Amino acid sequence: MLAYDLFQLIVFPGALFLFCLAFLYEWVDRKFFAKVQNRYGPLYTGTLGLLQPVADFLKLLYKEDLVPKACDRNIFSSVPIVYVVLPLTTLFIIPISGQTGLVAFNGDLIFVMFIFALMTITVFLAGWSSMSRFSIIGSVRSALQMLSYEIPLGLALIGPAIAAKSLSISSIVQWQSANATWGLWLQPIGFGVFFICMLAELELVPFDIPEADTEIVAGWRTEFSGRKLAMFRLGRDLEIVLASALVTSLFLGGAQPLGLIPPVLVFLVKSLFVVIMLSFARALFARFRIDQMIAGMWKYLLPIAILQIILIQLGLGV
Amino acid sequence: MASRWVRSKSPWLIHFNTGGCNGCDIEFVAAITPRFDIERFGIILQGSPRHADILAVTGPVTLQIADRLKRVYEQMPDPKFVVALGACAVSGSPFKDCYSVHGGVDTVIPVDAYVPGCAPKPEAMIYGIAKLIQKMRGGDKNG
Repeated sequence: MLAYDLFQLIVFPGALFLFCLAFLYEWVDRKFFAKVQNRYGPLYTGTLGLLQPVADFLKLLYKEDLVPKACDRNIFSSVPIVYVVLPLTTLFIIPISGQTGLVAFNGDLIFVMFIFALMTITVFLAGWSSMSRFSIIGSVRSALQMLSYEIPLGLALIGPAIAAKSLSISSIVQWQSANATWGLWLQPIGFGVFFICMLAELELVPFDIPEADTEIVAGWRTEFSGRKLAMFRLGRDLEIVLASALVTSLFLGGAQPLGLIPPVLVFLVKSLFVVIMLSFARALFARFRIDQMIAGMWKYLLPIAILQIILIQLGLGV
Repeated sequence: MASRWVRSKSPWLIHFNTGGCNGCDIEFVAAITPRFDIERFGIILQGSPRHADILAVTGPVTLQIADRLKRVYEQMPDPKFVVALGACAVSGSPFKDCYSVHGGVDTVIPVDAYVPGCAPKPEAMIYGIAKLIQKMRGGDKNG
């Protein structure tokens, strides 16, 4: 029994599977992004460039690891590890290979919100500890962005919880499959709000203000190189997996068995669809200004999110 | 062996102008457009020297910028490579022995590949970088 638990944690729906998924999704993202721009994208590294994210990761591991003299050495070296561990831990909660997550417990939806806030604080510390002017501007912007998207994100997460009368992601998934419906059909507004907040959380293009490479070099990542940068890239990929897994679980029915098709495959197809939607948004839009982002989040997204909650309470959304 | 393969599959570029006329820069920007699609080879343009493997230099090195060029080169993590793009970067060409010019890029930092031309076409630049990638795979340089 213990051996099977360990196998689950380390190999199949656990760490190894999630790392492979992270690299696969980065490849899908880059390839789709390239297709939208009418080009091929990674092509010669492995079949169709499938090994490109792995090659990037390994190359960064082989590179020299520079630590600037001015930076806060302890925070600077520990932050990249925390940045990988946080999304990985959260992914254990989400049901991937069945209808219950590996470490599902009651109230894990609140835990996910907590982790999202913690990830932004990690980013803030990363920029702050580098002591470079670009990093500090990037990290302050990242904190500012969190103050804007956090509240609509929380409200959008509460929607499915009210409908399923549970704060556990696994039981929200089970509720959707028991009622033979998807959160998307019941709460389309909530889905839209959640999707936009995920774009902001992942710092993808319409909201890539914290790492705007035309303004502030590479934002909060400017001073990181070698192994530390590799960890940040892996963490970002895991975050994309986490975001797509959350959208899938809360709004697209999650890992439902569909006839003879195992739940994992259903889950993979749905989350791939979400990843493609994310990279489509990335390819179509240009970056918002800071004031546009803040005003948009507070003036439009927040009232819309509240409207969705009111609709659910009136019984229209459920 | 694995390190060489991995390095040659994901060379990330950073671009630096050492006081050129902007002609090579326009051609360099043309080389990273979707028409040529150098992401096929895993090449990505990076903003920060800490993230890059290859420093692409255009323009003659003026006396003012020589220190800055050296500093950008020193900020890059090892193993690092340099490409000199255009006649000015190769030898200082028409500005050689000018009162304000230091000379070609190789008078300040070691250069691994030279791409001549005024300005070199995007194809020539990609060819030069491809030659450098071959060199990286062959292990011509220590590191």
